[in-house]
Amino acid sequence: MTFLEKFDRFNRRLSGGFEIIGLGGLLVMMVITCLDVFGGKFFRTPVYGALDIVMLCQLVAISFATAYALIIGRHVSVEFFTALLPERLQALIDAVISFFGLIFYVLIVWRLIVYGHSLQIGGEVSATIRIPLYPFAYGIAMAGVPVALVLLAQILKAIVRMVTK
Amino acid sequence: MSAVVTGLVGIVILLLLFLLRMPVGFAMGFVGVVGFAYLADPGPALSLLAQDIFEQFSSYPLSVIPMFILMGTFAFASGISRRLYRTTYTWVGGIRGGLTIATVLACAGFAAICGSTAATAATMGKIALPEMKKYKYNNTLATGTVAASGTLGILIPPSTILIVYGILTEESIGKLFIAGVLPGIMLSLAFVAVVAILCLRNPQLGPPGTPTSFKQKVRAVNGIIEAIILFVLTIGGLFLGWFSPTQAGAIGAGGALVIGLVRRQLTWRNFFEAGKEGLRTSCMVLIIITGATVFGHFMAISTIPFALADWIKSLPIPPMALMGVIIFLYFIGGFFMDSMALVVVTIPIFFPVVMQLGYDPIWFGVIIVLVAEMGVITPPVGVNVFVIKGIAPDVPLHVIFRGIFPFLIALIMMTALLLAFPGIAVFLPNLITY
Repeated sequence: MTFLEKFDRFNRRLSGGFEIIGLGGLLVMMVITCLDVFGGKFFRTPVYGALDIVMLCQLVAISFATAYALIIGRHVSVEFFTALLPERLQALIDAVISFFGLIFYVLIVWRLIVYGHSLQIGGEVSATIRIPLYPFAYGIAMAGVPVALVLLAQILKAIVRMVTK
Repeated sequence: MSAVVTGLVGIVILLLLFLLRMPVGFAMGFVGVVGFAYLADPGPALSLLAQDIFEQFSSYPLSVIPMFILMGTFAFASGISRRLYRTTYTWVGGIRGGLTIATVLACAGFAAICGSTAATAATMGKIALPEMKKYKYNNTLATGTVAASGTLGILIPPSTILIVYGILTEESIGKLFIAGVLPGIMLSLAFVAVVAILCLRNPQLGPPGTPTSFKQKVRAVNGIIEAIILFVLTIGGLFLGWFSPTQAGAIGAGGALVIGLVRRQLTWRNFFEAGKEGLRTSCMVLIIITGATVFGHFMAISTIPFALADWIKSLPIPPMALMGVIIFLYFIGGFFMDSMALVVVTIPIFFPVVMQLGYDPIWFGVIIVLVAEMGVITPPVGVNVFVIKGIAPDVPLHVIFRGIFPFLIALIMMTALLLAFPGIAVFLPNLITY
């Protein structure tokens, strides 16, 4: 097994694991909202802080699902133009575009850590049940790491395609 | 460089990155942060980037999107789509072109519990295409019907495009949903008429299926009851003000799960696969919206939307002609871009213009959906066509596109009708008092 294959396998496992965490967040969103509706409508006891929980679960769900969605090509992109170009040029474009993506995600991870630190210093909490927000900022920064790794793998694969085609 | 020129350069670079296959959400975020840093300062630009991501991902108004997407995927996993098709098949399958008419009706039914065109086309395509193949239906008609009827998914509520439009423009999602009902029913009937006319002219296109008795038809009603219950519960609850949009979506998703359990159709595997599918689609949509938010800050600081709105207002052209131009731009844009991305990118720019022209925002939302429907079935980026190609790999792409053409004409006619009679869209929402 080549280094790239091993790297790909590692990315799939890591991103797949993160996706499971995201799925958990999504399902909790649904369950909490349903309980809030039933509790509120039938027993006059809505779930305390349901909005806070839903918002933070969505944060986890989306950020932790990004990397796997990138691996399986679920993020919308315009395909028709580059498909018309020669294979080697396509590989070069893929390398450059993935490089931009990598820079972008490294910036995101860095700034989310800085943002998390500012939330921690400021003692920011959610509106109702006062959950500290900073761990979530650090969490989504961490969820950006596999995205950056997937983009790095895409750059390396594109370079290999450029050389071998 | 002035702010407006910088903004225009940013738009050109964005389009270039789109063409070079950068994911749409990433491209908007990337250009947005670089452009903002250039016009303001790198420090605030990077701070805003982190803040935008955190706030959009944790936005409660946006949580309506994953909930309604989850409702659609769980409805599929619970076998609701299959039973819907069986019902419509039993009702009209025995007549000439009946299986395609059944497909249109089943797509309309599934659209009432699913807000995505691709999901509706994929779901019904998997069920309807093998049946039509069995009865030797013409490939052009069969594939074109499923691809086109799948577009009903974003017109008949719930609709992901209307949700995103409502969030971007701060319009009531409930009103937007209700606005899609009448045009959705009319477009479904128009699609049925297209099939009927085609099969009348050439009976070989769609031979009759197995005839069914009156008793079987009555018994088949059972198959649509659960879809009706889900629709009434979610959209009705929203219409009557029982639920917020997020609550309606969550109740719909939970309801679809309960139906699957009661019907004993839901396995753990189905459940997880449907959940993951819903998560991936939600992630894709929210990343685009977040990218658009970052890009929107850049556009705002460049003052382009306001300058454009003022410029267009000053043009000596009647508002209807300008609206025609805007619709045409969307139509052309739909050829090259995913509809959701197109709406997210362009609404912040065109919506102020449309408001300046004095048009109803709810009506414009429905118009946008109709044009988006054209976008998902026209080449080269017709998502629904690729979905159908994936289900029927033996049918060449050009055959599917040819099959879509009559339905595209129906869509264009529907758009023209809505331009001439805006009441079709705004009549029902005007009944809501909240």
